[in-house]
Amino acid sequence: MVKYIRDLVKIISVSGHEERIRDYIAEKMTPYFDTITTDALGNLICHKKGEGKKLMLAAHMDEIGFIVTFIEDDGYVRFAPIGGISFAAAAFSEVVFENGRVGVIVPESEVKPADYKADSFVVDLGVKTKKEAERLCKIGDTFALRPSVTYLAGGKICGRPLDDKIGCAVLMAAAEKSGSFKNDVTFVFTVQEEVGIRGARCAAFAIAPDYGIAIDVTATGDAKGAKPMAVKLAGGAAIKLKDQSAICDVTLVEKMKTAARENNIPYQLEILPYGGTDAASMQLAGEGCRAGCISIPTRYIHTAVETVSERDVKAAIDLTVALCSEAL
Amino acid sequence: MCKESGFSLLEKLCNTFGPSGCEDPVAKVILENIDGCCDELIKNRTLGVIACIRGNGKSDKRLMLSAHMDEVGFMIKSVCDDGTLKVASMCGGDTRIMAGRRVLIGRNGESLVRGVFAVKPIHLLKSDERDSALPLDELCIDIGAADKEEAEKYVSVGDYATFESDFVRFGEDGRMIKAKAIDDRAGIAIMCDLMKELYPKKDMLPFDIYFAFTCREELGISGARGAAHLIDPTHALIFESTAVGDICGTAPHKCVAKQGDGPAISLMDRSTIYDKELTKLVLSVGKEKGIPCQIKKYVSGGNDAGHIHKSRAGVRCAVMSIPSRYIHTASNVIRAEDFSSTYRLALETVLALSEGV
Repeated sequence: MVKYIRDLVKIISVSGHEERIRDYIAEKMTPYFDTITTDALGNLICHKKGEGKKLMLAAHMDEIGFIVTFIEDDGYVRFAPIGGISFAAAAFSEVVFENGRVGVIVPESEVKPADYKADSFVVDLGVKTKKEAERLCKIGDTFALRPSVTYLAGGKICGRPLDDKIGCAVLMAAAEKSGSFKNDVTFVFTVQEEVGIRGARCAAFAIAPDYGIAIDVTATGDAKGAKPMAVKLAGGAAIKLKDQSAICDVTLVEKMKTAARENNIPYQLEILPYGGTDAASMQLAGEGCRAGCISIPTRYIHTAVETVSERDVKAAIDLTVALCSEAL
Repeated sequence: MCKESGFSLLEKLCNTFGPSGCEDPVAKVILENIDGCCDELIKNRTLGVIACIRGNGKSDKRLMLSAHMDEVGFMIKSVCDDGTLKVASMCGGDTRIMAGRRVLIGRNGESLVRGVFAVKPIHLLKSDERDSALPLDELCIDIGAADKEEAEKYVSVGDYATFESDFVRFGEDGRMIKAKAIDDRAGIAIMCDLMKELYPKKDMLPFDIYFAFTCREELGISGARGAAHLIDPTHALIFESTAVGDICGTAPHKCVAKQGDGPAISLMDRSTIYDKELTKLVLSVGKEKGIPCQIKKYVSGGNDAGHIHKSRAGVRCAVMSIPSRYIHTASNVIRAEDFSSTYRLALETVLALSEGV
């Protein structure tokens, strides 16, 4: 898992630009599935035939980032945010383009933090002219804050983008760990979650699963000054009950709780007062399915220091394996 | 060059009454114009008009072309005791563009009633009113009625209104076109012309082409969603208008596109991240055939692609937008050459897709 997460974060994959990370995952997953295909939007669909219920598991490959929209005469690069960017968290940071080129993202001088917005930011590539800048990047190129992974005390993994490469790593580790799947299982590494949970909907339409489970990050109530929320870092895998975009299927939630209890997997129940995951898209795709989400409690989501606990990640992997392997 | 007939059709379409939810008059003009140019036709209040040209079946691609029939407008909300009308906005609600404007009111495009958005002359404005636009609740339409009873002889709650605005060519050699509803009747006119051009060549087309003339795009509750579900396309090209900020002192990096540089091709907007391969094909066709086109430079807006690309198991989409000044007002202004360039790029892209099979 740790190897996967280290590799995954390094591959810049801003929404709509998931080709390289998809290639990486596809190669690693080949031994574990019967078929691996890519659909029109770019979702990676890994299917393993089984006798039981049709189960779709989804983790999104895309990360939040930026797209170049304009290059100024003096070489500064203008951009649009892709996904939920906090400019307070992004200001004065290194950014990395898909081609590895590095720049820094800075607000225009004199803009106060309270007034930060996309239009008041530029990327400084270190060049003096538009011509020089155009040799380094072009309109439509994407970039993101510099990826990193480091360890904090007590087995806490910290860096970016753990949203949702940690979910991808969970699925990859679960595929590796599962001896055999009892259910008819499709792992989908989805696209464009950060811009409106778009990819999962199309994949779920095509798969038409009985059960759809997203693997994604969720907030915690134990960050300093956080709003009350029952989820704690290192409190176990979080079984989502609801967020702003989905009320999880109660039957599935019960099955998830039972699987956790029977396999001694630490879990906690999650109600997130905002946000949404691929679960919401799967629930409403086609004729609909019973949808839920295994969440990985994460502090400081959408910053460069997203923090998760190894214990929770391990629990998420074990719960995923249990749900694939046991009758639903 | 788009045929001159394209411009007369555009004129007719722009002058047709068709706010969101009341697209039948526009559908009628379309049906007259595409008569005999398709193999199948579906007309549906919810989905709009869908026409199909059957290809020779050599490819399993299914191509959807889409433009929306509706224009921005208003709905009559109540008739006041003094005979004036209160409206709900279906145009984003910018009241500055309404005050003093002529409007037409009706239900189905026939026996339209004339009116004007009432406006207090500056002589009567209080000083604090001079600096701000009136809220929509305080605006009303005057249809010249003496009282409520008289007004209700001509209009009723639920009727639609649009701007009344002539189709005019202006500028040197008439290079500019001004009209209401160029968004998206220009796209509609282009699709009608494409049908006329492609239908006689249909035996050479390796796949079926579906022309979707959609409803209610301006309200976001798009008929394109149902149309795409029904058509189940593999690829879609969307024809739109996009706001340009090339005047009025907009900072260069916020200028979406430049008039005269051809249709704006979006990489992404607020509703869609466009398919890279299809978008690349459109841009390379423009380059090879010497048809002006430009990459849209600012991420803004959205269109029917937002629904189409997420339809069923996903659809590869690209968009061509005609750069339009003063979009969503009574006076949309485009350059005639951009309209022609968009038609040519659309036709050549369809042919390139056919050859790529």
